[in-house]
Amino acid sequence: MKAVFRYVKPYKWFAVIAIVLMFFELFVELIQPLIMANIIDQGVQLQDIATIVEWTTILLALSVFSFIAGVVNSYFSAHVAQSFAFDLRSALFKKIQSFTMATYIKYPASGLITRLTNDVNNVQQVLFMLLRIMLRAPLAVIGSFIMAFYVNAKLASILLISVPIIAIFLFVMVTKGIRMFSAVQRRLDGVNRMLQENLQAIRLVKAYLRGKYETNRFNEVASHLKIDSMKALRLMEYIMPILLFVMNVTMLGIIWFSAKYVGAGDIQLGEAVAVINYTMRITMILSLFVFIIILFARAKASAERMEEILLIEEGTEDIKTQPFDLPAGDLVFEDVAFRYNDAAPYALNHISFTIKEGEKLAILGATGSGKSTLLQLIPRFYEPTAGKITIGGRNIQEIELASLRNKIGYVPQQSVLFTGTIFDNIRWGKEDALLDEALHAASQAQIHDSIDAFPQGYDTIVGQKGVNLSGGQKQRLSIARALLRDASFLLLDDSTSALDVKTEENLWEALGHHNATMLVVTQKIQTAKGADHILLLDQGQMVAFGTHEALSQTSPLYQKIIVSQQEGGIEE
Amino acid sequence: MSFLRKPFGYEPLLTREEIKQTSTMKKKARANDWKRTLKRVWQIVDEQRLLLMLVLLLVVVSSALTLLGPFLIGKMIDYFVEQGTTTGIMSWIVSLIVIYVILSLTLFLQNYWMIGIAQQTIYRMRTALFAHFQQLPIPFFDRRQHGELMSRATNDIEAVNATLNTAFIQVFSSIITLTGTVVVMLYLSPLLTVLTMTIIPIMFYGMRWITRRTGKLFKEQQKAVGALNGMIEETISGQRVVKAFSQEERMIQQFEERSNALKRASFWAQSYSGYIPKVMNVLNNVSFTIVAGVGGILAVKGHITVGVIVIFTEYARQFTRPLNDLANQFNTVLSAIAGAERVFAIMDEPIEDDEQGNPHMLQGEVAFQHVTFAYHAGDTILHDVNFTVESGQTAALVGATGAGKTTIMQLIARFYDTDQGSVLFDGQDAKSISRTSLRNQMAFVLQDPFLFETSVMNNIRYGKLDATDEEVIAAAKKANAHEFIKALPHGYHTYLSSDGSEISQGQKQLLSIARALLADPKVLLLDEATSSIDTITEMKIQEALEVLMKGRTSFVIAHRLNTIKHADVVFVMQQGQLVEAGTQQELIEQNGIYAHMLNRNE
Repeated sequence: MKAVFRYVKPYKWFAVIAIVLMFFELFVELIQPLIMANIIDQGVQLQDIATIVEWTTILLALSVFSFIAGVVNSYFSAHVAQSFAFDLRSALFKKIQSFTMATYIKYPASGLITRLTNDVNNVQQVLFMLLRIMLRAPLAVIGSFIMAFYVNAKLASILLISVPIIAIFLFVMVTKGIRMFSAVQRRLDGVNRMLQENLQAIRLVKAYLRGKYETNRFNEVASHLKIDSMKALRLMEYIMPILLFVMNVTMLGIIWFSAKYVGAGDIQLGEAVAVINYTMRITMILSLFVFIIILFARAKASAERMEEILLIEEGTEDIKTQPFDLPAGDLVFEDVAFRYNDAAPYALNHISFTIKEGEKLAILGATGSGKSTLLQLIPRFYEPTAGKITIGGRNIQEIELASLRNKIGYVPQQSVLFTGTIFDNIRWGKEDALLDEALHAASQAQIHDSIDAFPQGYDTIVGQKGVNLSGGQKQRLSIARALLRDASFLLLDDSTSALDVKTEENLWEALGHHNATMLVVTQKIQTAKGADHILLLDQGQMVAFGTHEALSQTSPLYQKIIVSQQEGGIEE
Repeated sequence: MSFLRKPFGYEPLLTREEIKQTSTMKKKARANDWKRTLKRVWQIVDEQRLLLMLVLLLVVVSSALTLLGPFLIGKMIDYFVEQGTTTGIMSWIVSLIVIYVILSLTLFLQNYWMIGIAQQTIYRMRTALFAHFQQLPIPFFDRRQHGELMSRATNDIEAVNATLNTAFIQVFSSIITLTGTVVVMLYLSPLLTVLTMTIIPIMFYGMRWITRRTGKLFKEQQKAVGALNGMIEETISGQRVVKAFSQEERMIQQFEERSNALKRASFWAQSYSGYIPKVMNVLNNVSFTIVAGVGGILAVKGHITVGVIVIFTEYARQFTRPLNDLANQFNTVLSAIAGAERVFAIMDEPIEDDEQGNPHMLQGEVAFQHVTFAYHAGDTILHDVNFTVESGQTAALVGATGAGKTTIMQLIARFYDTDQGSVLFDGQDAKSISRTSLRNQMAFVLQDPFLFETSVMNNIRYGKLDATDEEVIAAAKKANAHEFIKALPHGYHTYLSSDGSEISQGQKQLLSIARALLADPKVLLLDEATSSIDTITEMKIQEALEVLMKGRTSFVIAHRLNTIKHADVVFVMQQGQLVEAGTQQELIEQNGIYAHMLNRNE
């Protein structure tokens, strides 16, 4: 809870004001039966109307002040709760942004989304209630308790038996509730995950007519949520009846003793009435508790889930964006090995090569041979398990991340586009880029003409994940985005697979004018031919390294690839 | 953002005019909207009518007992405490204990069952929404952010959930308690009752002032949650690019903008709705004062007893409490309505209608007749495309990116319908054939292979749900995926994570092909199915694909001419127009674009 609730701190003064105001409201409420006792004992019993009027006026004045206090309290409480929620969301999101790619594998998007919205909301609601009424409930109980003792300790001592019983009972229920509600939140993650998957795969679902099948799968996930919610909520429903019963019986006891003591002349009637009145109040407030306890247990479960994220230290990286200019240089892999986790086989092993500044390296290999993995080690999405990678002689692990990545233009295998216009997407990553720059990058990426042909040109809105663009257009937009950065390293992860021959030819031609060191994952010999070096991977091992001419002489695998692309072979 | 620390820096979300507007002009429309929404929720709740009746019965009992309790306590004070005697008190105590046991029992049972009803309702809403998603046409999804849609099935439905568990019982029991209380109060002292009632008009105006504002604010809030969800989903899905471009800080900034919009809406909604208990509280206190003051005077005059004052103060509170509850509930009901409205808005979206369509056993002939199509009006993707592919033929679609190849595939699958012209299957207009029967006889390998978060085995089985393990493995072998699957940590039972980071893009394509092979379709659509697969592996699966294509009508998009060299017909697309069509030989002889493409290769 601590890691979460420290975000209340900046607003602590407003919280304090809200609480003080709430105390005032409570004070007014608590003093009412006392004044009432005065009205009965001093007014009614003594037949003194003036006293009655006097006390009534005081009561009325207190009510008005209490109302003003209440309204201000509500305003400040909302301020504290919402500001806290905002800060907490930001802190969570920042933490998530600082995850390394390896950490993302451990925390699926669906669970992160639930935490950022639903979980924050659960906790925020409790904070709001806490400032407005929640703190008041236990205090009102304690206050009524004390007041009852103050009026008549003898009579009130019966409360000493029942109130602790209830306290223990509530504690047990809350502890149980927290566990059950955290199960509910996990189920909600599951619902989110299923939804996300389904929306991403909607074409596939429709193509294979799996709507019913998916609905059944979803029903299962949703019914888990239903069952767990029911379990948790129903457990909470034990609280109210048991609590009411204990308190009601207590009340009977107090009446019995009152009758006895009043009869014996030990206490006054007004005192007995006041104690009974306070007991009624305690009962009423305690029954409010049920509601509060449900909220609290739920919030605690949510807070723990958020804490899990906030406290992650390992597996995060620096996200500062004040990059210093990194001098370019030769890129060297020194006996690099990598595996995704300890249980997995090595995705890459014994990789060593040197690429001089401005050179172009083509990486070829079978599906699953480790080509993409190799590229991803350069911007440090993943860290090598063994060996090292250097740029200009400096180990990239020692280079500040932002500076390193600032020098790299990365085009992923699967194009990623964001909601916004085409222009927004090209300048994504360089917000201050002018339209001219975007135009230039787009021309180099061979996409300018296509964009120009759209009725809205560069202002065309890219639909959800780029659905209104063809595969090749998405790839070229991704390339344009990388080119705009003016990076000294260009990493293209098979990002031209959907391009036709002519376009691709022009693209390589245009890229040739860039001084950047290029690493290109490709399937095509034609592309490899134009490279200074070719790296051939097979099951994570480097089987050949050299020029096209050299490899076509020496590498049997390379020769096989050439053969596979001959005879009407690959376009280009 | 220093202003965030300041409590008075909130711009008002609603202008005075807006509030006026909602309260006068749109009042009727809004009330109607609410009524409709509530009615639809009610229809779902109503499915469990019997249980609901039982709950209502229990509410009546428990409300009556709740009223009876203080009444009897008051009597006990008059008979025993005031007299200072305990003779005969035991029978009172025993009967009250019995009453309390019944009260606790009825309270428990009504809530126990109500939770069942509420959760079932929520479940039905959620699953109905999901089922509706499955029936919505593709263009619907093109226009919306995934995260925003997800928010409707989670955050909006949760808003309904929060209310349904308690609101129903509370509203009902409040009404009963209120009526009962007034009756008892009238019986005890008509004068005090009338005096206590004077707070009602004040309360009414107070509530109206508040709810006029909150209704709209809650809607605003749910909308803001949706927008935030959309942004989060998109960012996390594209996290690799965010990292590559060091855009974390900008993402944080964008996030904070949306988060701030949510904060603002929530602040006002929460602040205003927070006034409700305060209003009730002051009225509570005032009524207490009235009872104490006037009651005291009346007691002095001998009109009433002290016992009456004591229970009357208790009843006065009992009187305002249900009103308080009602007012509070009204507020949460408003936020629930805001959520429910957003859910129903999706449910009202027209589904892919399949009514005119009849089932049709495909022979395999596919033809386009003067097909013109645009995703967005004015941005025509296909211009007057005409072609016929005979049953069993393999057609290759070639051309520059953006020429409309994938669009042709999407029209064959009827993800979209043509704007002009028609797609014909065996001479029948596609629109007259049911989508279900059409897609049932097709298999697809889409440009971006998608894998589900389940085992490799189940992912392939997606093509034919009742396939045996042997069939799945056979399909994987044909697709040349068997070897790499075997090498995975748990073979066919390896669980793939949501981002599928365990396997490469090419391997994903192999699995997609295996999936399509298993489906055994009449028409096969391969859209860049092998683009990420290395050429040696491709050569191996080429044979399998050829076997697969035999006897089926196939459409193939590929940039590798190797992939399409066995095509019976080739269609060359250029800027949405079909510019060349014919067999490979014919096209080579024409010496046009296609021949040029081939030449470039040699």
